[in-house]
Amino acid sequence: MTKRLFSKQSFLGIILVLSVAVLAGCGTAQTPAATEAPQPTVEQPSVITIAIPEDPPSFNAAISDSGYDALVMNLVLLGMTAIDPEGNVFPVLAAELPTEENGGVVVDNDAWTMDVTWKMRQDITWADGTPVTADDVLFTYQAIIDPNTGFWIPGIDLVTGVDKIDDYQFVIHFSSVYPAHLTIFGNRQVVIWPKHYCKAEQGFQSWDCGREPLSSGPFILEEWVTGDHLTFVRNPKYYEAGKPAIDQVIVKIVPDATVRETMIRMGDVDMLMWATEQVAANLKNVPDVQLSISPTNRFVMRLFINLAAKGSTDPEADPHPFFADVRVRQAIRAAVDVDAIASTVWHGYAIPVWTEFFRPPYDTCDIPRPKFDPQAAMALLEEAGWVDQDGNGIRECHGCANAQEGDEFRFELLTYAEYGEPLILTQQLIGEMLKNVGIQADLSQSQGSVMWADSASNGIEQNGNFDIDLYDDGYAGTDPTDFIWQYYNSGSAEPDMGWNIGRWKNEQMDELLNQAYILDEQERQNIFCQMAELLDEELPQILLFSTLNADAYSSRLSGVQANVNSVVSWNAADWTLIK
Amino acid sequence: MAQYIVRRLAQAVVLLFLLSILFFALVNLAPGGPLAGYGQIRRMPPEQVAALKRQLGLDKPLPFQYLVWLVGNDWMKVDVDGDGLGDSLGTRQGILRGDFGNSFRSRKPVVDELNIRLPNTLYLMAVTMLVALGIAIPIGVISAIKQYSPFDIAVTTFAFAGQALPEFWLGLILILIFYVWLKNPLTGDPLLPVGGIYTIGTPFSIADRIAHLILPVAAGSLGWLAWYSRFLRSSMLDVMNQDYLRTARAKGLSQRAVMFKHGLRNALIPLVTLLALDLPYLFSGAVFIEMLFSWPGMGLFYYQAALQRDYPVLMAILIIGGISIVLSNLLADVLYAYLDPRIRYS
Repeated sequence: MTKRLFSKQSFLGIILVLSVAVLAGCGTAQTPAATEAPQPTVEQPSVITIAIPEDPPSFNAAISDSGYDALVMNLVLLGMTAIDPEGNVFPVLAAELPTEENGGVVVDNDAWTMDVTWKMRQDITWADGTPVTADDVLFTYQAIIDPNTGFWIPGIDLVTGVDKIDDYQFVIHFSSVYPAHLTIFGNRQVVIWPKHYCKAEQGFQSWDCGREPLSSGPFILEEWVTGDHLTFVRNPKYYEAGKPAIDQVIVKIVPDATVRETMIRMGDVDMLMWATEQVAANLKNVPDVQLSISPTNRFVMRLFINLAAKGSTDPEADPHPFFADVRVRQAIRAAVDVDAIASTVWHGYAIPVWTEFFRPPYDTCDIPRPKFDPQAAMALLEEAGWVDQDGNGIRECHGCANAQEGDEFRFELLTYAEYGEPLILTQQLIGEMLKNVGIQADLSQSQGSVMWADSASNGIEQNGNFDIDLYDDGYAGTDPTDFIWQYYNSGSAEPDMGWNIGRWKNEQMDELLNQAYILDEQERQNIFCQMAELLDEELPQILLFSTLNADAYSSRLSGVQANVNSVVSWNAADWTLIK
Repeated sequence: MAQYIVRRLAQAVVLLFLLSILFFALVNLAPGGPLAGYGQIRRMPPEQVAALKRQLGLDKPLPFQYLVWLVGNDWMKVDVDGDGLGDSLGTRQGILRGDFGNSFRSRKPVVDELNIRLPNTLYLMAVTMLVALGIAIPIGVISAIKQYSPFDIAVTTFAFAGQALPEFWLGLILILIFYVWLKNPLTGDPLLPVGGIYTIGTPFSIADRIAHLILPVAAGSLGWLAWYSRFLRSSMLDVMNQDYLRTARAKGLSQRAVMFKHGLRNALIPLVTLLALDLPYLFSGAVFIEMLFSWPGMGLFYYQAALQRDYPVLMAILIIGGISIVLSNLLADVLYAYLDPRIRYS
């Protein structure tokens, strides 16, 4: 027996050898990357590190919009235009912005169509020296609209075709006047792809150049070690003379938020993309860390109010017992103390917002800020027939419009779990504030993928299975029209047809929305302000505050500017290291 | 024995087939869908959402989707334009031909990313388990031989603590001590790196690899160490009361020879079986360790895929997990018979 067992020692030996082989295998697998690393020269190259929690899905932000894809895409690729933090569109690959004045935009007033002619810069090349031309734009357009492999981008369904005029000029034909046409091929998600390098047959969503892009931008991807890091080096052919000033950018994948914060404190990371309010507060007094806050904001925390009874999508046949009455919605707005929430849970970084038109250039409407006034809220509720007669602290229906006599005012306040603590605490505070005026909010949480799924996948909102939802949303880019359409147009109130999940149907709003698709900016401002007034009276949603858009960065960097209309890397070519 | 193995393998195929149906149903029937978090879907016109569903094959009933997942759709026409008629041949080969499909998130073949992440996890988990075993075996033996000694009591207490400590908390404490507080006296840098497999931009070095392994292995192996040493201690105690050990002593063998030649070898048999059953962890990884120490492995991959409803990735990892569990069970049974002649399968 002893002898037999002895011979079986070889078994343990094999396990040991195998493990060593695995070890060694992992080692050799990554050696080439290490040997390719630049040899230290006389002058130390300037290197900065950005930490993000997960791999970007690809370099094509148009197909996934995780934000991390936009971060790396903006390091290597250029669009026709881009948007600065104040919301101004500026030309990048374009030589100038087409307007009606310079003849670039021609509207056919009878057919209500328009043609936009773009002139491109002639001094921009891909990293291999090939010029960036109109052929690349046409190629990108064809890839986007391919029914098999393409992917929808905002406005593309209004484009009937793109024609080349010469190597550096092309014209986009629109089937309708489209106010946001300037950024259709250039925003934080959409760039121009190289025709001679990307393989059209692989398709826009999965082509190899989406993972190994050919640069037109300030940096070149040197290596991407999945799940670990991406290394970028300076593009010597970048068109802006003397830029970029940084030799190397490393984007490091650090999944844990606490570890990311520790690393920037320790100086091992130079930038955290999208610092939350909590991180901003934690890093406030760290001497070597700065915070760049975008001058304008996008995401607005809001209450989505269901005007149809829970489980129904028809507000006329089944009005919501509480919220179909506008006085109740006004009471809720008056009962919520936005400043108290902003200063505590959001560390003072949340900014009160009460109208959709709060971002430049459409922030000109005169909508007075609603007052926090619990007394007024209670008076409104009483007027609407909600009185607490039994003295249990919760109002009941006594002469209200849509509920049974004696029904308690008790509803579900739902939010999504992934956002984390600040949203949960906000939900709790709102619940307490409503309790103070005699409304009982039962708090619950769900996953975003359940809340927002389509009706066939039992999506909570599309099926109308909620009372009030709490979360944030806002429009990308500079044009609010499509966003407002999706939230407040009658057609969008049908299941799976949009996000008018409160089922607010208003003919005046529909009419204003139809009028808003014009190019006359002054008229548009006027229309938007009429919408703002209507929304303020009717309150289909209650807007609370905008959340922080900021990036944390090391003091040794300069030129970093958070940009809510893009991502922090929008001006990476301008970053410098302070010696 | 060969017949037994063949029979078990045949059973495994059937079992895996049933498992795959169960996994597929669970993943797809969980509330919510993959599209809710997909790109600008909230801004997409409804007809575009429908087109996207067709592209991903999500428009078909579940049994049909399962069929495509299993055997592919490159042998049939797929409806591209939404008119209900087939237009062109599909591109999926199906899992039976080694095609796990494309990730919803990256749009790239799931296999590509598995090929990168699986070795990373194997590397970390193999070292973690070897370290745990290397320490657990002597500890278990000494505790058994010196039962109720101060050493035994200390180790037992430590083992219970080790099993009770959450990896996540332990990892954070280790980071605090070895990354934030302690400095390398020569360079002034943190004593140990906080994460990753190697230092970016440096040539390959064994020392660098080891430095990156220390914290994740320390945090990950403590639980295993406690588990294995406790197991070996009781297994050793069992063996020490056996008649053949008394015989060995009666023959006049030294205590050392009795314990190591006759005691330990027999006590290791159940441990080897246990180890075989733990083999799936080599493939599945440890999500908290990988997350905390930025280790691009399978645990993290699964976790992120679950959050993002990336069904093809989830299915691939679940199936690999299923296969490794079924095979390691078979391995454990076979090893047990091989190491212990008293066990016979017929």
